[in-house]
Amino acid sequence: MHKLPLDARQNVDLSAYEAPVCGVDEDGCLTCGDVAVAVTVVEPGMPDALCVDDHGNEGRIAVELVGEVIKGDRLLVHAGVAIERLADGGERS
Amino acid sequence: MRFVDEYRNAELASTLATKIAEITDPDRHYKIMEVCGGHTHTIYKHGIEDYLPANVELVHGPGCPVCVIPMGRVDDGIALAERDDVIFTCFGDMMRVPGSSGSLLDAKARGADVRFVYSPLDALKVARDNPDKQVVFFAIGFETTAPSTALTLMRAKAEGLANFSVFCNHVTIVPPVKAILDSPDLRLDGFLGPGHVSTVIGCRPYEFVARSYGKPVVVAGFEPLDILQAIYQVMVQLAEGRCEVENQYTRAVRYEGNVEALKAMERTFELRPYFEWRGLGFISQSALKLNDSYADFDAELRFEVPGIRVADPKACQCGEVLKGVIKPYECKVFGTACTPETPIGTCMVSPEGACAAYYNYGRFSRERVKVEV
Repeated sequence: MHKLPLDARQNVDLSAYEAPVCGVDEDGCLTCGDVAVAVTVVEPGMPDALCVDDHGNEGRIAVELVGEVIKGDRLLVHAGVAIERLADGGERS
Repeated sequence: MRFVDEYRNAELASTLATKIAEITDPDRHYKIMEVCGGHTHTIYKHGIEDYLPANVELVHGPGCPVCVIPMGRVDDGIALAERDDVIFTCFGDMMRVPGSSGSLLDAKARGADVRFVYSPLDALKVARDNPDKQVVFFAIGFETTAPSTALTLMRAKAEGLANFSVFCNHVTIVPPVKAILDSPDLRLDGFLGPGHVSTVIGCRPYEFVARSYGKPVVVAGFEPLDILQAIYQVMVQLAEGRCEVENQYTRAVRYEGNVEALKAMERTFELRPYFEWRGLGFISQSALKLNDSYADFDAELRFEVPGIRVADPKACQCGEVLKGVIKPYECKVFGTACTPETPIGTCMVSPEGACAAYYNYGRFSRERVKVEV
């Protein structure tokens, strides 16, 4: 196995590196905790659909685990994957 | 904000607090465990304990996936990351978890190619973009996260991506709950069931808690009113002498869970015979590994990993915190040697960790502040 020299640290420029911050103002880590975010489907698709969260952030979400979606569907998303449909509203009648 | 404000209404919280106080027996001490780290975070952030009678105690459980990773597995991850042919990808929190000789962040500082991703699907993209490198994804998490890894593996197989593999550390929630119930250290009256794990596994897996151990379980959402309502439901069951599995989080959790997600997990994973949990020791059938049909994507088979068991630092009492035996501030190094910036124990790393949640929101006021209701 390749071992890095002990002084390698001195050669690494970390000034531009942004460490993941999980601070006081965060609602927790969205990825590795049991935390999921609610999103609304903007542009349906399979296997990915364009969705927007309640803060206005858009992203493509994998929707294979919840089946076909339509515009306005509300989904619960964890680690970039929709894990359940939400029953809290949306435009689906 | 829509779908948030409704669950943070102070007036409704006061009403629920009054109802909880009304059915609380003043001569009894209640211990209710919130299994999930996300609940711990909400409880501290919104001061839920201040709404409860003094004799209703919330005990923090083992439901933070970062907190339960043993140091040996972190060392294994670092060993993979330090290979010169590997791009190592992981979730943000995992980068700061200390192994026996530093964290993944330290490995990155030494020159290892460690990248944090928000989704295992992002790791797949890294693999597509770097065909001359081996891309390893450090998979952690309970059943909430395991379907994402399963889906990623299925896509990797369909694409025939030969340079992608998964270092699998997924764990399951029911075995540690059973271990805690069997532990002589603790006398619990009921449980708040994890909300998002339950979107995947449903409510059925908790029925043994009610049936065999006689404890109520209420699956709860993550907003303050969700937690208060779930506590109220547990208290009602206790007052009426019932013990059942109830679902407070009906807007996201179905009784049978997400069958498609469970199928994806079944296609890709199998149970490990045993797995080490920080603070809880080895628990049988409590973790997942890639099954034979996905063995080609198993980083532990593709590369050599040290696999050495490392004891926790002596000063660290994460084990007792994870079992709910002590409060975070009762640990000898809490807030002094161990802080979110320089964590010794895993419970201080993730905001879902009981120590970090307590450090961020509760370290200056250990006595409850009574909220007038």
